Amino acid sequence: MKVGRRRFLGTSSAALVGLSLKSERHIEGAFVNDSFQMGHLLRDRSAFPATKRSEKFRVVIVGGGIAGLSAAWWFRKRGFTDFVLLEMNAQLGGNARWGENEITAYPWAAHYVPVPGPKAVYVRELFEDLGVLRDGQWEERYLCFSPQERLFLYGRWQEGIEPAVGLKQRDRDQFRRLEELFVKFRESGEFTVPLELGRSNRFKSLDQISFSDWLRQEGFDSDLLNWYTNYACRDDYGALAKDTSAWAGVHYFSSREAEEKGPLTWPEGNGWITRRLLERIPENIRAAQMVHRITPKGHRASVFAGETEYQAEFVIFAAPTFLAPYIVENFARLHEFVYSPWLTANLTLEHLPDSRGAEPTWDTVFLESPTLGYVDAMHQSLRSQIDRTVWTFYWALADGPAAVNRQLLLDKDWNYWKEAILHDLERVHSDIRQCVSRVDIMRMGHAMIRPTVGSIFSEQRRHLSSLGGRILFANSDLSGISIFEEAQYHGVEAARRVLNALGSRP
Amino acid sequence: MGILLFISVLLIAACGLIYELVASTLASYLLGDSVLQFSTIIGTYLFAMGMGSALSRYLNRSLIYRFVSIELLLGIIGGFSSALLMLAFAFTEGFGLILYGLVIVMGVLVGLEIPLLMRIVRERYAFRDVIAHVLTFDYLGALAASLLFPILLVPHLGLVRSAMFFGLVNIAVALWTTFLFANQLSGARGLRAMCLLAMCGLAIGLAKAKQITATAEDNIYADEIIFVRDSRYQHLVLTRFKDDLRLFLNSHLQFSSRDEYRYHEALVHPGLAAVAASRRVLILGGGDGLAVREILKYPQIENITLVDLDPEMTKLFATHPMLTELNQKSLLSPRLHVINADAFPWVDSNTDSFDFIVVDFPDPTNYSLGKLYTTAFYRAVGRHLSTQGLMVVQSTSPMFARDSFWCIAETLKQAGLLIYPYHVYVPSFGEWGFVLASFHTYTPPASLPSGLRFLNLEGLPALFQFPPDMAPLSMPPNQLNDQVLVRAYDQDWKDVSH
Repeated sequence: MKVGRRRFLGTSSAALVGLSLKSERHIEGAFVNDSFQMGHLLRDRSAFPATKRSEKFRVVIVGGGIAGLSAAWWFRKRGFTDFVLLEMNAQLGGNARWGENEITAYPWAAHYVPVPGPKAVYVRELFEDLGVLRDGQWEERYLCFSPQERLFLYGRWQEGIEPAVGLKQRDRDQFRRLEELFVKFRESGEFTVPLELGRSNRFKSLDQISFSDWLRQEGFDSDLLNWYTNYACRDDYGALAKDTSAWAGVHYFSSREAEEKGPLTWPEGNGWITRRLLERIPENIRAAQMVHRITPKGHRASVFAGETEYQAEFVIFAAPTFLAPYIVENFARLHEFVYSPWLTANLTLEHLPDSRGAEPTWDTVFLESPTLGYVDAMHQSLRSQIDRTVWTFYWALADGPAAVNRQLLLDKDWNYWKEAILHDLERVHSDIRQCVSRVDIMRMGHAMIRPTVGSIFSEQRRHLSSLGGRILFANSDLSGISIFEEAQYHGVEAARRVLNALGSRP
Repeated sequence: MGILLFISVLLIAACGLIYELVASTLASYLLGDSVLQFSTIIGTYLFAMGMGSALSRYLNRSLIYRFVSIELLLGIIGGFSSALLMLAFAFTEGFGLILYGLVIVMGVLVGLEIPLLMRIVRERYAFRDVIAHVLTFDYLGALAASLLFPILLVPHLGLVRSAMFFGLVNIAVALWTTFLFANQLSGARGLRAMCLLAMCGLAIGLAKAKQITATAEDNIYADEIIFVRDSRYQHLVLTRFKDDLRLFLNSHLQFSSRDEYRYHEALVHPGLAAVAASRRVLILGGGDGLAVREILKYPQIENITLVDLDPEMTKLFATHPMLTELNQKSLLSPRLHVINADAFPWVDSNTDSFDFIVVDFPDPTNYSLGKLYTTAFYRAVGRHLSTQGLMVVQSTSPMFARDSFWCIAETLKQAGLLIYPYHVYVPSFGEWGFVLASFHTYTPPASLPSGLRFLNLEGLPALFQFPPDMAPLSMPPNQLNDQVLVRAYDQDWKDVSH
């Protein structure tokens, strides 16, 4: 290439004083998977199309997230096929949805399942079914590869997310003392997954105060410990510790005993489970069918979706429970269900950014950030040479009232969020803008149930999960915490109860 | 005349600074520790300039003649200084002596310049003007040189030619001074002739600078670099010293042609010669074709599949004359099938079965390569073994990376295979280890192909004996979700180097 003298002088003199511009990639992207428009139709009691058709199934499952899909899986596995599953979105999976581009599949929300303990019987059965658990051995390629997690703090990396560098003796003592407390809670057998199998009234008082208040009462005031407990609540509940029930906070740390270095994860996160479940029940699924009304009538119930009326003996309501008052006829308002707003983004990277010399990990978290960092979809690839990848960026809008944050999600445009995300990543990956070609953003106003103070022992919840009528509730929000195992547990339990009821009345 | 004189001051100041910078930079390049080199050379140079200034008082007659001679001498010495230093480093033991000798000689000569010049012009100007003008242009020249050197000279001309170019400038100043002071100068003709002669010498030097640099560099890096390529995956460097060819991938030595036969005979024959009626062989890694060369010694082998990530690598070893001589054109064999793919996904998706499998990857220096040393990977490879099949795994050094070696052995065991570890001495690598693995009991071969240079039947049992300093260690297996091997390997080599 020949460079004219004028241009050469121009660029070289600019370079000399450090003024030359770095080339910046054009970044494409959009909001994807928006579903609030449909939710708002229900909220605003809009007019829905008149019924033109009628179909009969013994069971209708409303909602195609993990709860609904698990109910369907249980039915098929026990040889019961007279059911239909109706999902509002075009894609199934709910919080276990996934996306795919020419580089890799990637998650849209939930991206792992901790290696299940012995109490999670249904999860173990599912994983045996899917070949994840074989002869008591967890399939190695589904366990999270090394290196797993890293935290960026004080301008450097550390392995793991619990802060381990720059601690004073006081911090170290508090981390140790807290762990000792959690060990005791674990040994009590009260904090289990699924939650319902262990919970008694023994620690009910913990549900009466917030996690942050409880920590303060117990004499924990270390800033780093405070950061870590808040990170845990943001990560699993989309909430700050001050908005989280202490019972739920303790549950996060005391409910699991690792039997294998995990967690279980896949490039598309829990979307992998959704895919495997869909393969097993394709003929029972109807996507893009928004249920707008459910009317119980004596021994039957009618479910209205689009122009179709589905008549059924039982309805499994696996959609988020907060929708029930807008859909189910004569349903009382729910006050005790608070949901956290979230934002996730998938970033397509054309090459790997500068990471200050560190090898890529599965999960990356920044200490000084309101976000939850990102997960690398190519981490579970068997390939040795990886040059392009997709990062899933997680951001629970936990600080401030949920309604305000929900409005913020709606008000700000794509460019605003894209800039906020890149700005967050730039604190560590200074050349991120030269690497990213696409940023797709998913906004979720009601991403997950928030275990607020009093919610774990809420009477309304207990009532709904044990309801014996035509409509059975199955969403994970009945547990008060939104994790895969809870969704699967409630889905399977509802299916089991329906089969029992049908079995006694053929 | 005034302005021309002061331009001369500017030019000789620039020359003086360039020689100093060239010497400092070269010393930094060749000896390292640039802070030390720059400090000591600038210090010595300035001190020598002081000596020059002190000596100037002893020069009393024919000042102009002396000034021109100094410029001429400086042009020659300074101009050739860089080439001289490079050759001195490459071919002599006395680089330091020559370096500081040159710096002192140049410093003294530069130190003489300005005092002489001031005395030459003092009759024409007031003393304070002489000081002001001469020093102003002296410092201006220094500024120009210090900017030109890093921005234009080093990147575009290189050190050897930069010095020569300024040598020419220096002599040009000498030449033009003979004309400037023609009426006060006797013997101008002789000086001019010498100037022209020196300029011719430097011009030739400029033209030949590349060869000078190359000659010196060949010797500096000991081995001639005959091939460098950055492929998408790795940095390939091939070097030669006399009859020794060496391949480096990402600066890790892969083989030395002097003793690679030991490595590759040991890699292939203890396993392959023990498989009765072997027909199909798989090689994972091994894009240099050297394992293929050994495998082709078995006429009954019908089909060899070689899976190597890097097409540049297999292309280079199929075409470069020195390399095809080394691998005996093995990569051009009609029995060979080359697939350029990432090994784990390939092994995972392919269903062919093989009688002998060679697993020859770079050492597990990072988590990406570590995936190729896991129970999950060996299970996937094991599915390709025929009932009589054997596989052999390059397993690092049981001597220098003892934890790593036994970790790889344990990993193969946990993948459900029977293991038969062995080791061999390869001078360029040191003690090196392999693990044979299969689903049945291994019986050592009863015969070996003819024409082997290292391996014979008598020597075979000794390979499987591990003396106490390499004896088995209890290690956990390396797994995708817990890559203990990468950490062990890192620690092993840290222990060796400390």
